[in-house]
Amino acid sequence: MVKKVFAFALLISGLIFSSGCSEEKAVSEADMSSKSRDVFAMDTFMNIKAYGGNADIALSEAEKRILQLEDELSVTSETSDVWAVDHSSGTAVDVSDDTALIVNKAIEMGKKTNGALDITLYPVLKEWGFTTGEYKVPDDNTLKSLLKNVDYSKVSISGNKVTLPKETEIDLGALAKGYTGDEIMKTMEENGVSSAIVSLGGNVQALGKKPDGSNWKVAVRNPFAPDTDMCIIEIDDKAVITSGNYERYFTTDDGNVYWHILDPDDGYPADNGLVSVTVIGDCGLDCDALSTALFVEGYDGAVEFLRSDPSFDLILVTDDMKIFYSGGIADSFTNISGMEAEVIALD
Amino acid sequence: MTKGVKLLIGAVLLIFAAAVVLAVIGLKPSESTWVEIVQNNKVIYKLDLSEEKDRTFRIDYPEGGWNEVQIKDGHICIADADCPDHTCIKTGELRSENIPIVCLPHKLVIRFSEEGAGK
Repeated sequence: MVKKVFAFALLISGLIFSSGCSEEKAVSEADMSSKSRDVFAMDTFMNIKAYGGNADIALSEAEKRILQLEDELSVTSETSDVWAVDHSSGTAVDVSDDTALIVNKAIEMGKKTNGALDITLYPVLKEWGFTTGEYKVPDDNTLKSLLKNVDYSKVSISGNKVTLPKETEIDLGALAKGYTGDEIMKTMEENGVSSAIVSLGGNVQALGKKPDGSNWKVAVRNPFAPDTDMCIIEIDDKAVITSGNYERYFTTDDGNVYWHILDPDDGYPADNGLVSVTVIGDCGLDCDALSTALFVEGYDGAVEFLRSDPSFDLILVTDDMKIFYSGGIADSFTNISGMEAEVIALD
Repeated sequence: MTKGVKLLIGAVLLIFAAAVVLAVIGLKPSESTWVEIVQNNKVIYKLDLSEEKDRTFRIDYPEGGWNEVQIKDGHICIADADCPDHTCIKTGELRSENIPIVCLPHKLVIRFSEEGAGK
């Protein structure tokens, strides 16, 4: 009898314990161990986490690559490609492969989004003080005259040679971090890492799945309370990139709020009903460019884009505090905010 | 009730109680009261906020500059700093595992740490 009692008790206790810790088997300890690196570059904080035996080397190589990209793409460093292009007085400038690739993508995305993404907005952005932190609201005449030189279609590129009209200046800020995410993941793979995740100033990009085979859980910030998370989505091998009006903004004495994502149409902060746009996709560069462009285009434009290219997923937050997300992430989306969330209807 | 049944109930209850206790102990680190203060990839403090007394201390940046870290009622924040943007102060208290307190100019990061006691 006593034997039976113990057998039953053991069975029960086995059930209790097994329910708690069923994961993490089959993967060796070396693969599960992770290394993390902070990188302070591109005016932002980046944290890269890599798994496996090659993590250390891969992280060092990734850091080198980030610093190289910063050297090429910075709009304020006098030795960068972008600086050379912006100070070329209309002559052709030879740029690196990275810069050429991003400029080509910027022109392509400009076309695709009817000019909602425009890398020639830089002089307007400067006028608002978003590049220096010395904010001011420009007067209408100044904006009008600056907008005369804003037109991405006037950027010409042939091979690695970029030519701009004299008064035009570019800034690749809307694409650089996305591209950097892609390049970090490429460096990881080249160095034998198959599981890694990077957080780049609010953007996240993942390589593969977690070493235990599960998906990465990525949080998206609440634009109405940017120090808290709004939702969690599960991803593998994807980029999750957000443009929000909370990222950089200032408030004037009369209580008006102005943010850094400008509408190329009038040079004022884009105010088309969205306060945050998150784009989820395979390519960080595409997602980064799109998050800015769709923020400018507003809800209807974003939904129209989704219809034309369902390979991306979106999370949109409207200024009346509603969340809309695409059907592709319906199963992996968890709303942890007090806001209503619904799937974007595409028909 | 036979002696066997009594014994059985007793054993199950005992094991269940033990399981609950173990589960609670096992869950403790994930409550995330541990934070790390990292300066340019070097962990300079590892603190259990549930144990820390209220205090304020200054962290100097070797290349010039400082941040004043404040611990109050089990919460941590940067209360003052001589960096130009003060983003670290504006971030307020550390709340989310996904959103660390960062001072870019001083390469300082305060975040919840996964590993708990003993590390």
